[in-house]
Amino acid sequence: MNPKYDEVELWGRRIKFYKSISEIGDPLDVVVIATPAPTVPKILEEAGLKGVKAAIIISSGFAEAGNTELENWVRAVARQYGIRVLGPNCIGIFNAYTNFDTVFLPADRAGRPPPGPLALISQSGAVAAAIMDWAARRRLGLGFLANYGNKVDVTEVELLEAFAADDRVKVITVYVEGFKYPGEAKKFLETARKIVPKKPIVAYKAGRGGAAQRAVKSHTAAMAGTYEMYHGLFQQAGVIEASSVREMFDMAKALATQPTPRGRRVLVVSDSGGMGIQAVDALETLGLEVPEVPESVARELKRELLPFAAVSNPIDVTGSATDEHYKIVLDALLPTAFFDMALVVTLMQVPGLTKNLAEYITDSKRYGKPIAVVNFGGSELVQRFEEELEDQGIPVYPTPDRAAKALWALYKYGEVKRRL
Amino acid sequence: MTHPIVARAVAEGRGKLREDEALTLLKAYGIPTPDYAVARNEEEAVRAAEQIGYPVVAKIISPQIVHKTDVGGVIVGITNPQSVREACRRLREVAKKVPYAELEGVLIQKMVPKGVELIVGAVYDEIFGHVVVFGLGGIFTELYRDISMRIAPIDEQDAIEMIREVKAYRLLTGFRGVPPRDVPAVVDILIKFSRLVEDNPEIREADLNPVIALEEGKGAYVVDARFILQV
Repeated sequence: MNPKYDEVELWGRRIKFYKSISEIGDPLDVVVIATPAPTVPKILEEAGLKGVKAAIIISSGFAEAGNTELENWVRAVARQYGIRVLGPNCIGIFNAYTNFDTVFLPADRAGRPPPGPLALISQSGAVAAAIMDWAARRRLGLGFLANYGNKVDVTEVELLEAFAADDRVKVITVYVEGFKYPGEAKKFLETARKIVPKKPIVAYKAGRGGAAQRAVKSHTAAMAGTYEMYHGLFQQAGVIEASSVREMFDMAKALATQPTPRGRRVLVVSDSGGMGIQAVDALETLGLEVPEVPESVARELKRELLPFAAVSNPIDVTGSATDEHYKIVLDALLPTAFFDMALVVTLMQVPGLTKNLAEYITDSKRYGKPIAVVNFGGSELVQRFEEELEDQGIPVYPTPDRAAKALWALYKYGEVKRRL
Repeated sequence: MTHPIVARAVAEGRGKLREDEALTLLKAYGIPTPDYAVARNEEEAVRAAEQIGYPVVAKIISPQIVHKTDVGGVIVGITNPQSVREACRRLREVAKKVPYAELEGVLIQKMVPKGVELIVGAVYDEIFGHVVVFGLGGIFTELYRDISMRIAPIDEQDAIEMIREVKAYRLLTGFRGVPPRDVPAVVDILIKFSRLVEDNPEIREADLNPVIALEEGKGAYVVDARFILQV
């Protein structure tokens, strides 16, 4: 609808413009409003008169610009007509499954990711668009995105509930800067607690600095910073907390594809001793364990691997390794009760490794334990190898610490499920 | 449901509970505190000390003094009647030195043996509601903000996780010859305290500081408590 036009050719199609909502004969499921802020309440009212039950208000110029009254007016109209409103001041919804897409940014700047198991709830529209573009480039399956902007009606808690109820969503990611209304933290806590036994929620809270900005008379209140409250809330709710957007998706990718580990013991296999050690450092710092390989298995591995391979954990198959050596290690150890998950470092620059290795690693999925792969480099072989693994549902990371954090998230989710 | 002690303080327009009210409120929620009594004069103080049993501590009771220790309002290690009288005289002097401070009495309290000092507290936030705070006592807690927080009410698992979350947790599990502490007793205090703040929405801030954690099986005691109310 746009009163300025009658008919316009757009995207090779002739499109008819209506002068007002009431002119439209067919029933409407949702109204997307992207007009100057002062015109919004009136349009919303027209939608209400027509019986529309949902609206997404893209327009900005409300409370975020000091126009609180205009925002209150929008809220009042929405309540009066029983319209659920997302926004205002938001980019709205992107649904990769149906292509329901209210994001006004063109695809050459903000790419659209393919359908997949991840959903993002973002307080910031700009951050959401950037994540969408980033995910599209990496072919990361971000199936749903919701940005709620000024949150005049629909809240992150309701979006959580919606994504919880959708079977296509396996992991919910949340980017939050700060709650807005009294009592919201408790609602978030109660809702998240109900969801996490069924599907993991990963959250990143931006803005961590500073102690409480209020005048206080007690020691504890003086120390009680706002960020610490969010941290406590996430812990209590069983929400896995990430320390950056990148880490949030590192974790989400693993949570969406890997089974939940029974414990914290990690098998590390590497063709580089140095990378193996880095992996151990990262894992142990996170409270995960890298236990010794039992004597009997170690003896057996010693016979089958290269003479200078290290058969303790981390296992170093060395730079002279072939694909087979990884297979031998994974088959000998991953099914045993000694290990709960595996971190596999595959520096593909050495001559003995081929893309068949991806198949061997993928085969190890049958042991029902999480696997994360560290792969780094720029050659076409490296890229293809990585794509092959990711397509088969094995998460790949460029550095050991990122893979370690992803495995930690899996372990943490296991703990959450055992607890709740 | 607001406890009568809190309700009365609010009705009287007092923004802070008196020392003895704070301790009575804790007792009402089953939170262990050392035995205490309020004395109006030296004779009462001596009688209270004899009844409680030495050693005792004498603390100033004054609505205008928020941080007692800072003004010399806490005298520890009192072992005989003469020291009780002396302590009362000294606290009177303290009250005179602080502008507008009225001396309402002296709190005589059983002295708790040395232990690991903890802080348990609460703060009210509009968006979060009551938040329970835990930390180990001492300057490092404040320096590194080594604290954990949870939204009230908390359950046993929350309390255990809160305690384990702080970096100084090792001080409770036995460190450098210091024997392990009665962690279950601390868990119990946290849970009961979270119920206390949940029941009393008028509480804006609260400090149980210090909470002394004794050796395993010997319990934990709240030695001092401060409640700031919304009036």
